[in-house]
Amino acid sequence: MKTAARSLWARTLSEALRRFGPLAALLLMCAALSLLSEHFLALDNLLNVFRQSAVNALLSLGQLLVIITAGIDLSVGSILGLCCVLAALVLKAGAPWWLAILAALAAGAALGAINGLLFTKLRLPHPFIPTLGMMNVARGLALVITGGFPISELPGGFRYWGAGAVVRIPAPVLVVVCACVLLHLFLTRTTLGRDIYAIGGNRQAALLSGVPVDRRLIMVYAISGALAAAGAVVLAGRMNSGFPLAGVGAELDSIAAVIIGGASFFGGVGTVLGTLVGALIMGVLRNGLNLMNVSAYWQTVVIGAVIVAAVWVDVVRQRAMRR
Amino acid sequence: MDLRRRAALLAAAALVAGGCSRNGGAKKLEVVLVVKALDSEWWQRVKAGAETAARANPDVNFAVLAPEREINIDQQVGILEDQILKKVSALAVAPAGVSEVVPVLEKAKAAGIPVLIMDTDVPWPGKLGFVGIDNRLGGRLACEYIVRAIGGKGKVAVIRGVLGVATQDDRLAGCREVLAQTPGVQYLPAQPANSERALGMTVMENLLTSHPDLRAVFATNDQMALGAVEAIAARNLAGKIVLVGFDATREAVRAVVAGQMSATMAGHPERLGRRSIEETIKAARGQPVEKYVDIGTVLVTKENANEYLH
Repeated sequence: MKTAARSLWARTLSEALRRFGPLAALLLMCAALSLLSEHFLALDNLLNVFRQSAVNALLSLGQLLVIITAGIDLSVGSILGLCCVLAALVLKAGAPWWLAILAALAAGAALGAINGLLFTKLRLPHPFIPTLGMMNVARGLALVITGGFPISELPGGFRYWGAGAVVRIPAPVLVVVCACVLLHLFLTRTTLGRDIYAIGGNRQAALLSGVPVDRRLIMVYAISGALAAAGAVVLAGRMNSGFPLAGVGAELDSIAAVIIGGASFFGGVGTVLGTLVGALIMGVLRNGLNLMNVSAYWQTVVIGAVIVAAVWVDVVRQRAMRR
Repeated sequence: MDLRRRAALLAAAALVAGGCSRNGGAKKLEVVLVVKALDSEWWQRVKAGAETAARANPDVNFAVLAPEREINIDQQVGILEDQILKKVSALAVAPAGVSEVVPVLEKAKAAGIPVLIMDTDVPWPGKLGFVGIDNRLGGRLACEYIVRAIGGKGKVAVIRGVLGVATQDDRLAGCREVLAQTPGVQYLPAQPANSERALGMTVMENLLTSHPDLRAVFATNDQMALGAVEAIAARNLAGKIVLVGFDATREAVRAVVAGQMSATMAGHPERLGRRSIEETIKAARGQPVEKYVDIGTVLVTKENANEYLH
C-alpha cells in the first residue's frame, strides 16, 4: 500500500517533470538572465526573443510531427530557402502578396509530400535518406534559380508577415501562435492526430489496427514542408529578401528545439507546447548571450550542452520511473 | 600590457564608474562593432585594430560581435536587434547582406543610434559614413597584375564570395573591367565559394578539371585563395597558375613569399578596424564624422611582401 502510494507519487512527479520540465527550465533561464542583464526583461526585448525565435519555432513544429512518427526531416532548412526564393520571384513577377504566400505554402507542402512519397512508396529505408536528398535538391534549386543572388526589395504587403506588428505584437509571433493552436488541436482532438502518435508508438500495430500509415506519413511530411514555407514567408519578409542561402543549418536547430522540448527520437511522444518552449529556450539563450556580448561561438557551445542536458534529464527520469 | 598596469586601469575605471553612478547620469559610452564573422585572420585583425582604438578611449565600453559564418545573415540581424534594444551609443556594422540588413539598420536609426558602415558598403542613406577600401580599384589592380603576368593571353577564372555583397561585387566588377579591355583573355565565371577556404578548394578543383589550360585565378579573398592553393598543389601545378588573392592576410602573404600565390591585395584590416571605431566613437560623442574614409589598397607581391608579414 505504502509502496504503491510512493510509486504513484513518483509517477506523478515524473509525469510533471516530463510535461513541465522544459517550461520550468525556460522560466529558470529567464530568471537568471534577468539578473545578469538589465535589458532582458524589457517588453521590447521579450518581443525581440519571440521575433527571433519565430522562424525556428515554425520549422520545429513541422519537425515535431515528423519526430512523433519516429522520423526526421533534414530538408526543412532547404525547403525554407527554396520557398524564400519562390515567394520573392512570384512577387517580382507582379503577383499580389497573398498569392506569393499561397505559392510558397503550396510549394513547401508539395516538396514535403515528395519526401513522404519517397519514404513510403519507394520504401527508402529511413526518412533520413529522402529528406537528406531533398535537403540538397531544394538548396541546389534555390541557388540555380537565383544564380546565387538574393532577390531583394519586396513589397510592403508581403513584408508585413515578417516585419509588421499588430499593436506591438510582431506579426511573426501571431503566425506562430496560430500555427501552435491549430497544430495542438490537430494532434490532440482529431483522429488524424491520434493516428500520428499511433504510428510513432508502434508502426506495425497502427497498420494492423487499420491506420493508413503511408497516407498519414505523406501528410506529416507535407505539413512539415508547408510549415517550413511559412517560416520562409516570415524570414523573407523580415529580411526584405529571398536569399537562396536562407536557413542553412536550420534543420538542426529545429531538431534541437523538438528534442529540448521533450519529444522522443523513438517516436510517439512530443507536444506542441514542449516544442514551442524548446524553440524559446534556444531563442532566449541566444538573445541573453547577445545582450551580454557573448560571442556566437560560445552560444553554439551552450546550446549544444543544453541539448545533451535536456535529453539526459529525460533519461534519468525514465530510469527512475522504471525502478 | 603588463598586469599591474591593467589592474591600475581597471581600478581607475571602477573609480570613474563609481563616481559617475554617484553623480547619477554620465554613463560610459557603449560602442559595438558587428562584423560578418570572426572565422578568419582578416576579421580577427579588424577586431584587433578596433580594440586598439577603443582602448584609447577609457570612457568607452567596447565589444565586437559576429554571427558564426558570413552566410548567417539572420543571425547578424538578431545580434543587431539586441544591441538596438540595449540602446548602445553607436554601432559600426559590416553588413553580411546588403538589402537584408538595411531594415534593422533603419530600426537603429529610428531608435536614435548612429550607425557607421565599414568594410562592405550599403546603399543606405541613413548611414553616418563609410570606412573601407575602394574594392573596385582593388579588383582592377589585381587583374591588371594578372593580365601582365600571363602576357595578355589565356583563360582567367574568378572565385568570388557570397553573391550580392557589395565588396565582392565591386572586386569582381573592377577585375572584369580590366579583362574586358584585354581581347586575348577569356573570362571564366566560377561558382561562388562564400569566402570559405574549403569551398575555395572545391571550386578550384572543379576549375582545374574543366579547364586544364587555365592560366590565372583571381580569388576575391585570401581564404578562398588559400583553398585554391591546396587544390593547385594537389595537382602539382604550384607556380604554373597565376593566383591572386585579396586581403593580404599573413598566411596569404607567406604563401606569396613561398611562391604558392602570385600576389594578394593589401586591405589593411587593423587600420580598417581602428579608423572605423575612431569614427564610431566620434559619432557616439555626437561629434561630426567623416563621410568616407578610404583605407587604401596596395598590390602585394614577392618584392614588397616583407612589409606585410609583421
